[in-house]
Amino acid sequence: MEKMKYDVVVVGGRVGGSTASLFASKKGLDVLIIEKNQEIGVPVQCAEATSSSTFKTLEMKPSSKYVCNEIKGADVYAPDGSHGHLEGGYAEGFILERKLFDKHLAIESAKAGTDILVKTTVKDLIRKKEGVRGVVAKHMDHTLEIEAELVIAADGIESQVAQMAGLNTRQTPHSLCSCAQYEMVGVSCDPHYLQFYFGQKIAPGGYVWVFPKGDGVANVGVGVRSDTTSAYSFLRKFTSQMNATPVELNIGGVPVHGPVDKTYTDGLMVVGDAAGQVEPFTGGGIHVTVLCARIAGEVAAEAIEKGKTSENFLKRYETRWKKEVGGDLKQSLKYRRIMDRLTDEEMNILAKFLKKQDLESISKMSMLGFVRDYPQFLKLLKEIL
Amino acid sequence: MKISAEQCGCCGVCVAVCPQNILELSSMMIITHEGCENCNLCMVVCPLGAIKDGKNEI
Repeated sequence: MEKMKYDVVVVGGRVGGSTASLFASKKGLDVLIIEKNQEIGVPVQCAEATSSSTFKTLEMKPSSKYVCNEIKGADVYAPDGSHGHLEGGYAEGFILERKLFDKHLAIESAKAGTDILVKTTVKDLIRKKEGVRGVVAKHMDHTLEIEAELVIAADGIESQVAQMAGLNTRQTPHSLCSCAQYEMVGVSCDPHYLQFYFGQKIAPGGYVWVFPKGDGVANVGVGVRSDTTSAYSFLRKFTSQMNATPVELNIGGVPVHGPVDKTYTDGLMVVGDAAGQVEPFTGGGIHVTVLCARIAGEVAAEAIEKGKTSENFLKRYETRWKKEVGGDLKQSLKYRRIMDRLTDEEMNILAKFLKKQDLESISKMSMLGFVRDYPQFLKLLKEIL
Repeated sequence: MKISAEQCGCCGVCVAVCPQNILELSSMMIITHEGCENCNLCMVVCPLGAIKDGKNEI
């Protein structure tokens, strides 16, 4: 058995892992990323849209090396086909080529000093009385015993590492959207606007998205929570009417019930999908994960400098990310819960109402008028206001 | 619970919901350990419908 020693071991080399290690390495720590796949960035499990805040957090300028397309707004379709248009603001952002973006982040992290082991899987944690103190990993047929002051679990929805440390990161069929996506060629759509389609028949418990990557290429995907029919079946159904050709099939799950209860324990922090750090309403996770992972990397540096890696100290990781995004995630979860209870008919009515409003400043009078006409919404609206 | 190797896309969604923690995602396949209690949560969430009732023969 080969032995190694680092300040921090980061499990997972995608946006969460690379961001945490980048900021920990920048602060001078000895960091190792363990990535189970042979190549960082594949397979893609993402619709690839993100906001400019991602780059602000990363202190990087968006580059054409991995940005396919700029997004100016979105078109949203209710079940009856009625359509709302969002311009700028929240709907603005970029479509990434995640294969290249994830690889780029890993390269930046490596340039800052991070070591990376690909095709390596964590088999167990090293536990001492003071908490987690590294991992036992397998690279091909070699077993590696990697001691570390701290472990950061950025190992995705299938996270086992945080669970090994006693944190509950498990999802349920209700908390997880099951997703399937084609990257398709020959999609006719406006290249600068996202499309969202809602309805029980096309995507129960989720939605269909068409995210343009430019030049007639788009990610066409479906996220569902259905007991009877797979995401792939819904995808096949939605795309059967499109005269477009798939060049890639992506599948995965998106946590839509907000962050897990606790994201730290003695000697370990958990970030990204593994921690449920995803906006429940939209399913967007890149900007949230990048922010939380940066905080984890910075807290790791403070913890090691002070020689304090107990959960008492690491609690500041959770305090800080909650201060930054906790409120937004809670609000987004409220909208998700409301959405989950709407029938198609109610979605149509709501869409027609919202269409007539200026979304930035819906007046109380117009709300009252709406609730008078459709009293069934009163309870739902009370929860938002 | 039986995972079709031909249909499986190794996405790890089944691993995320398994209450017994008996599923493991390696880079190229899902590894099934002993102890399945047939709760079928993995069947419900599999995006490709690759998991069926029955015994895994692997």
